[in-house]
This record gives sequence, C-alpha cells and structure tokens, in this order.
Amino acid sequence: MRLMGKQDSQLVESRFLWASVIVLIVISALLLRLWYIQIYRGEYYSAISDRNRVRRIDIPVPRGIIYDRHGEVVLGNRPFFDLVYVPQYIKHKQETFRILSRILNIPLETIEKRVRAARGQPKFRPVSLKRNLSLHEVSIVESNRVFLPGIEIRREPRRDYHPAVPPHMVGYIREVTKKTLSRNKDLYKDNPYLPGDLVGKQGLEAQWESWLRGKRGFRLVQVDAFGRQSDQSQETNWEYPVVPAEPGADLELTLDMELQKAVKKAFSGKNGAVVVMDPRNGEILAALSEPGFNPEIMQTGLSTEDWQQLTSNPFKPFLDKTTGGEFAPGSIFKPVLGMAALEEKLITPATTYHCPGHFVLGNHTFYCHKREGHGAVNLRDAIVKSCDAYFYHVGIELGVDRIASYARSFGLGDRLKLKLNMERPGLIPTSAWKQLVHKFPWTKGDTPNVAIGQGYVLMTPIQMASLYASIANHGTVYRPYLVKKVTNHVGEILKTTEPEVLTETTMISKETFELMGSILKDVVHHQQGTGKNARVAGRTVAGKTGSAQVVSLKKNRNQQDVSMKWKEHAIFTAFSPVENAEIVVAIVSENDKVGGGGRSAAPVSQEIISTYWKLKEKRKRKKISMQNEAGTGKDVIR
Amino acid sequence: MSSDNESKGVFLVPGMDVAPNRTRSITIVVVLFLTMLTIGMLNLYSASIDMPWFSRQMRNLIFVLPAFFICAWLIPIKKVQNYSWWIYLAVCLMLAIVFILGKVAGGAQRWLSIGPVGFQPSEFAKLAVAIIVARFFSFKRSPLPYTLRDLLPVLCTVGLVFALIFAQPDFGTAGICLLIALVQLAFIRINLRSLGLTLISLPLIGFFGWTLALRDYQKLRILNLFNPNLDPQNTGYNSLQSLIAIGSGKTFGKGYMMGTQAHLKFLPERHTDFIFSVFAEEHGFWGGAVIFALFALLVWTALSIGRQTRDTFAGMLAVGIAALLFLEFFVNIAMVLGIFPVVGLPLPFFSYGSSSQLTIAISLGLLISIVRSTAARQKS
Repeated sequence: MRLMGKQDSQLVESRFLWASVIVLIVISALLLRLWYIQIYRGEYYSAISDRNRVRRIDIPVPRGIIYDRHGEVVLGNRPFFDLVYVPQYIKHKQETFRILSRILNIPLETIEKRVRAARGQPKFRPVSLKRNLSLHEVSIVESNRVFLPGIEIRREPRRDYHPAVPPHMVGYIREVTKKTLSRNKDLYKDNPYLPGDLVGKQGLEAQWESWLRGKRGFRLVQVDAFGRQSDQSQETNWEYPVVPAEPGADLELTLDMELQKAVKKAFSGKNGAVVVMDPRNGEILAALSEPGFNPEIMQTGLSTEDWQQLTSNPFKPFLDKTTGGEFAPGSIFKPVLGMAALEEKLITPATTYHCPGHFVLGNHTFYCHKREGHGAVNLRDAIVKSCDAYFYHVGIELGVDRIASYARSFGLGDRLKLKLNMERPGLIPTSAWKQLVHKFPWTKGDTPNVAIGQGYVLMTPIQMASLYASIANHGTVYRPYLVKKVTNHVGEILKTTEPEVLTETTMISKETFELMGSILKDVVHHQQGTGKNARVAGRTVAGKTGSAQVVSLKKNRNQQDVSMKWKEHAIFTAFSPVENAEIVVAIVSENDKVGGGGRSAAPVSQEIISTYWKLKEKRKRKKISMQNEAGTGKDVIR
Repeated sequence: MSSDNESKGVFLVPGMDVAPNRTRSITIVVVLFLTMLTIGMLNLYSASIDMPWFSRQMRNLIFVLPAFFICAWLIPIKKVQNYSWWIYLAVCLMLAIVFILGKVAGGAQRWLSIGPVGFQPSEFAKLAVAIIVARFFSFKRSPLPYTLRDLLPVLCTVGLVFALIFAQPDFGTAGICLLIALVQLAFIRINLRSLGLTLISLPLIGFFGWTLALRDYQKLRILNLFNPNLDPQNTGYNSLQSLIAIGSGKTFGKGYMMGTQAHLKFLPERHTDFIFSVFAEEHGFWGGAVIFALFALLVWTALSIGRQTRDTFAGMLAVGIAALLFLEFFVNIAMVLGIFPVVGLPLPFFSYGSSSQLTIAISLGLLISIVRSTAARQKS
C-alpha cells in the first residue's frame, strides 16, 4: 500500500480505483434493474397502469317501445328524475344533506342510510338519494343548486305508463332479482344485468324481455388514485372510446289502441275480462282484465301498503283473466251442443222439446233459468231465448264424451299457445277425466250441467273469443297473437308473425255453421232475443249471452239479496258481421251487480262493436282523403 | 487520470500541468450542478400537480445558488478545517433542539422552524459527519495502520450524530451518516485485527439492533422489501405504485408531463422519495440511464478531486462528499426500484426540500474550493 503522493496524506491511493470500480458496478446493477422493470416487464406494468386509471361508466339504455297496429304508442319511455349526489364534488356533506332534507322534506336518516349503503364505490359514481322526483321537487332542487354542490338531478329512461295502458298485457318491470344476476355468467354473457336494473316480469315485458331490454353502452373515464374522475379537458391526448347504448327492439302489436280505450271505457266499473279478436287470423285487437293495477308502482318501488291492498283484493288484480281466468262459460256453450246434435242427427232444426221450466232426471230436478218455462221450443228458440231445458235433453242424448269431442275439436280444454301470462287450459270434462281426477264414475246427473256450460266446464275469455271466432269463420282455430312485428331501433324488421292455424274442425259442416250463424244473429236481432242489447245500427251482429251461476241458487232467486261474492258471472260473446265476420268479442263480467249476460254484458259488446265500425269508417275516410290529396298533388306537379 | 508529473499527458505543455486539470474539474462540477439542478427542477414541475412544490423550490434557489458559489470561491478549505468542531457542535446542537422542540411530521421529529423557514438539521449532519471525520484524520496522523482504539474518538463523534438522528426517528438519514463515515474510513489503513474484530461483532450488533432499537414501522418497511404485494395499502403500496410508474414508462417514457401514475396521484411521495419514478415514467429507460450516467460522472469527479489533493483533510472531505452523493443516489434509486427498503432518503437535485438541496449545493461548492486550494498549494 502506498500513501498518496510525496506528501503525508493519510489516504491510500489504490482505494480510489477500488471505489471507482465499486461505483461503476453498483450503478450498472441499478441500470440492469431499471432495464428489467422498464423494458423486460414494461408491458406488464403498463397494463397495470392502464387498469389503475381507467374506469368504466355504463350508459343506461331505454327499453324498446311498444306500438299498436296503427303506430300509436302503447308503452313508451320518459325520463325519470332521480336525485343523486356525486361524492367527488360534494363539499360540506352534513350541511348539504341538511339543506336537502329540509327543502325536499326527506328525513335526514333516509339520506344517510342511502349514503352508507353506497360506501366504498368510486367517487365519481352517483349515489341515488331519491327516485322519481316530481317536477316540483326538481325545480326546488334546481333553484337551490348554488347551495348544493355535488347534488345532481339525473335522468334515467323509464317506462311511461298512462291510464289506457293495459297493465296485464304489457306487464310490469321490477328490479332484477339476485337469481337473475347469478345467471349472468352463463346466460347473459355479453349483456349482463347489473344490480338495480329493471326487468320485465309479466306480459309482453317478460315474454319479449331479451328483445326489449337493449344493450347498455359504456364510456371509459380516467380516474385518479382517489377514484375521482380527472379532468379530461386538460389532457387532450387522452381519448377514450364511447360505446353507445343499443336501445331495445320495438314491438308492433295487433292491438288497436283506440279500440282498447273504448273497451276500457265500456267495461268500466266491472270486474272480469274482455277479449276482442279478428276471427280471420287470430289477431288480438283488444284485451282487458279488470281490476288492473298501476304498473308505475312496480318500477318505482312498491310500498307495503300498496302491496297489501293489491293482494287483499278478492278480484286478484295481478291475474290476467283474459288468459289466466277460468270461468264456467254458461249458455255461450250451448251452440256447441246444438251443432253437435245436428251433426249427430239427434235433432233437426225443427225438432221441438217442451220446456216446463224444469227438467227431471231420476230424483233430481234441473231448472231452466225461466221458471215459468218456454213452452215448445226448437233449436232456434232454445238458443235465442237461452232455454236450459232444451239443452238438458240434447245433452243427455249426446252424452258427455260426445259433447267433449266436439268441444275439443274447437281447441277447447287446451291452451291456445299464446304464451302470455300463465295461460290456463280451461276444462272440458269427459267420463274418463272424472274417473281419473275425482276417482268416481261419471253419472248421468253430471251431464245436464255440462250441457248448459256449467258444472265442470271451464273456459278462459280468450277461449270464448276463439270459439266464437271459429263459429264465425266456419271452423278454423287460429292461434291468437299479439305481436305482429319486431323492429330494431333503426327500423330493420327482426321478426314478423304470420297467422297460424292451430286446428280445423272437420266434424261440423258448412251448413251447420251457417245455420248456427243465423240463429246467433237472431239472439241479437230477434225481438225476444236475450242479446238484443248488443244490437248495432247498420251492422249485423251474432252473439250469445251467458250467465254462469257461481253457486246453486235453488232457494234464493232474488238477486238483490245475494251478496256480491255469489252473484252470477255475466258473459257475452259476439261477432260481427254475421257473414265474413271481422270482429269477435268475448266479455266476462265477474259477479255482476246488474245481472246476467243480456242485461249487463251485451251493452258492453254493443259499445265495442259499434266503436269498431266507427273507427273503421273514420280510418277509411281518412285514407281516401289522403289519397285524394296525393292525387291532386300529382296533378299539380304534372 | 493522475495529477502528478509522471502522468503528464503528451498534450500538456510543461509548467501548464495544473491549470487544465483544475479548470476541467471545476467546469465539470459547475456544469453538472447546473444541469442536474435544471433537470431536477423541470421534473419537480411535472411532479407538482395542484401543489406549490415547484414554486417553493424555485424560491429556495435564492439561497441555494449563492451558497454554491460562495462555498466554491469565497470559502478557503483551510477555514472549513479550522471551524470543523464548531460546525459539528452547531449541527449537534440543532439536532438536540429538534429533539426537544422539533415539529412532528409523519410520526417523527425532524423539522426545526425559525419563523417561516423550516429546515431539517439531519440533512446538514451528513456533511458535518464528512467534515469531522476528515478533521480527525488530518489532526491525528499515524504512520502505522489505525487500530480500533485509535479510531474510538471518531467513532464516538459520529455515533453521537447517529444516535441523535436515529432517535428522531430517522433510520435512513442516520444510516447514511454512519455509512459516509465508514466509506471515509475505508480510504485509510486500518489494523487487520481491528477490522476482523469489527466484522465479527457487526452481525451481533445488527441482531440486537433489530430486536431492540428498530420501531415496528421500520421493521415493516424492511420486510415489505421482500414482498411488496403483501401490504398494498400500507408501505408496500408506495413501492408497488413506484414500480408501476417506472415500468409503464418502458423504453422512451410517456412524455414530459404525461406520466399518468404521477399526474393522477397514484404515486405517493412523488415530490420527495419517489421523484425518480416520475422521471422514469415520463422519460423511460434512456432518460433514467442518462441520469445514472450524470451521477456516475459526478461521483467519479468528486473521487478524482479527492485523489488529486495532497491534503488529508481536503482528500477525506472530497471522499466524504463523493460518498454522500453516491449513497444518497444509490439508496434512493434502489428504494424506488424496489430492491431496498423505503427508508425515506431524498434524491440529490431532484427531491423537493430546501435542506437537502442546500447541503448538496454546499458540498459541491466545497469540492470546487478543494480544487482551488490544491491548485494554490501546487503553485506555491
């Protein structure tokens, strides 16, 4: 070791070389490490850095719009105003909430509860404080904006329900359930549901959910380490893609909204169901189930009181009675028997029976609805005056199994495959059915009740309409349908529905149908017809009344004394015009206050059918005038 | 490069041997000082988003720049040698005052404020240690290698500073002070037996130090080094975000003022400990390599200045300053690159902080002063 230079410095010269070498090695090692992090693992850290700063914000999507056959909106969307607060922009939390609770009259605890529930979310994500503000509340908040930093009004597209919307048909939407969310992974991979989404739960909303819901869009935002959205305007070179939302597909229904409104008006005050169909193809023109409910409360959140009120109603507001309500058809079942007996040559149109007002079978007496009796009646009189005794005879002669085979040839006792709202099949009893279900053989005494459409027989209103449509079109049973066309938001047609024939009756001849048509016409147009209340000026109408007894009313004939629950169902079915019918109507008024089908349901039918014709003429005139205009326009150009 | 006659370059005219070396060293130091200061300030500007760090550091330049030039041209190195003990005592006194009156920040008492000016005496202590060790060897000469007994006084003086800083507690700065002294000791001859004894006793000291002296958060920091993912929200979070920032810079960086990790505030302590991450994120690997090269050149220059001088005090001081620069650079960069615990040491020229910047300015000024005095002596 050599001391430095000539002088007596204590430092050892060679150590400087060592030191330089060490410095060089250490710095090279650091450089190697820098290379490893920045170049070797650069991509990895780069990806983390992107994930660090980019967050996804979803863009809400409006559900598809439902139109009627003429392009009128049945169910659209409107913006809802939600009160939200954005944690990123809020300054004095407690003070702001206090002001808010004072001006909007919300308890402070409610706000705090909402805020607590949203804890842990990124700070740019708005937290909902109150849903569905009224315009008044919106204006209060807006005018106090200065004092409420971080409080915002957000618009969300929701369903716009107005009173004419048939709630059972379109259905309602509710917040998505945990079960649906759990199926996100395998079922809704590319378009998952998020908590808080509204999902169709009934009617068309449920049936067409996957078409109506659309696909949400999203945009990416840059956030800082605290989850606050950073100001992008400063850093202009950071641009993130925006994936726009794809609105849901629109449905075009066979429904005629004008007619639907008329139906609702005509049927107001009654409970039950109305179905209006086109007998030529099975299109449903109007369908109503009463009492209804307000679908609005389902999307905004149902209160316990509302829920209790709805569930305690004996008329089951949530049940869609057009397809899900099973009723004894009563006298409207009689034409089936009449036609069956004619085809089986058991009777001719001239065959008469004597009606003394009752019919005795063994030791049991069956009464006609008119206790004094109708006297001698043939088939025409029996249907026009709705004589029960005549059909007791015919029923006994036919036997239950022959009745059933004729009824089944019209598609009764089976679902019509509408696939809407838990469609029920109804019931056409046979002897085998009774043996199977009741473990008891069919007795002769069961048959007279079936013959007048009571006892075990059950039909849904849509089956009643379908039955009369088949009588009107001479035996074809169409599958009823409601959705004509599905179009996406740019107008491309995604799907159309063509009329579909379910079955065709071969058991009944054309002549029989024509005869039955003229008889049913007499029900309305004959002086003594039970359905004369359904007459429409200038048009022919064929119909049949029915009054289904809910309980046996042997002892108590006075309707006034019968409590509401035990009053009979007023039923009326009709088609118009008699030849080449265009419209068929089925009305079931449950436990009607006024009386039977002729008194209570026929006037409803009258209103519906006359409205139908009026509307048709109106539209025809409009079309002609528009054509004329177009014609004159062409002349001018020429 | 050698300073003596034997290594005279063929290009040098005899008699002019000193002047080119002298001016060259001085030029290198001045240029490096100004260059790195500028790079550091620009980088700090990028790092201070919504924070007044840059403007405050600009204000600090009012006394940092004069301090550099005053130390370089107005203070002879002999004066520093004469006042060594006073400097040492002043720093010890300040450290003692900090211990009693200092401001508590971040769980430690490090700050001393006089009116509006706050400073960290522990930063000055680094230089003071270098000065007092140099003073010791210029005073206590020995023809034989130093034994442990000979070195006891200097170990005690350094130990006092170490203890005062460690008690704040500031593990990083205390360690640097100790290391500076050890590096300086490495440049003198030491008795082999004493060295062996020290090497055996060090692990024992280390073991007892770990169990008795280290605080929990310090232990956690050291442990976090081995697995930064272990504790992402605590100390490891800093390390991880730093690695993400550096790594995402890749080869050429994201561009000046474009570092997302820093600008979106993912990077903590981006103005002090992790300032290099900001630089590496925005300028990439090549930017980082340039900084490494500048530091290497600076340290090498400081070492060569130390070698050229024939005065023990000046040589020791130059070595101490080289050690100060290199150790701060090494520890900070290693910490930022995730191969060293987060001990909280500033990066010279880059980190925000008046005390550390002033210390660096004074140190580099003294380097020039050493060059000048060496030249003056050679002339005489």
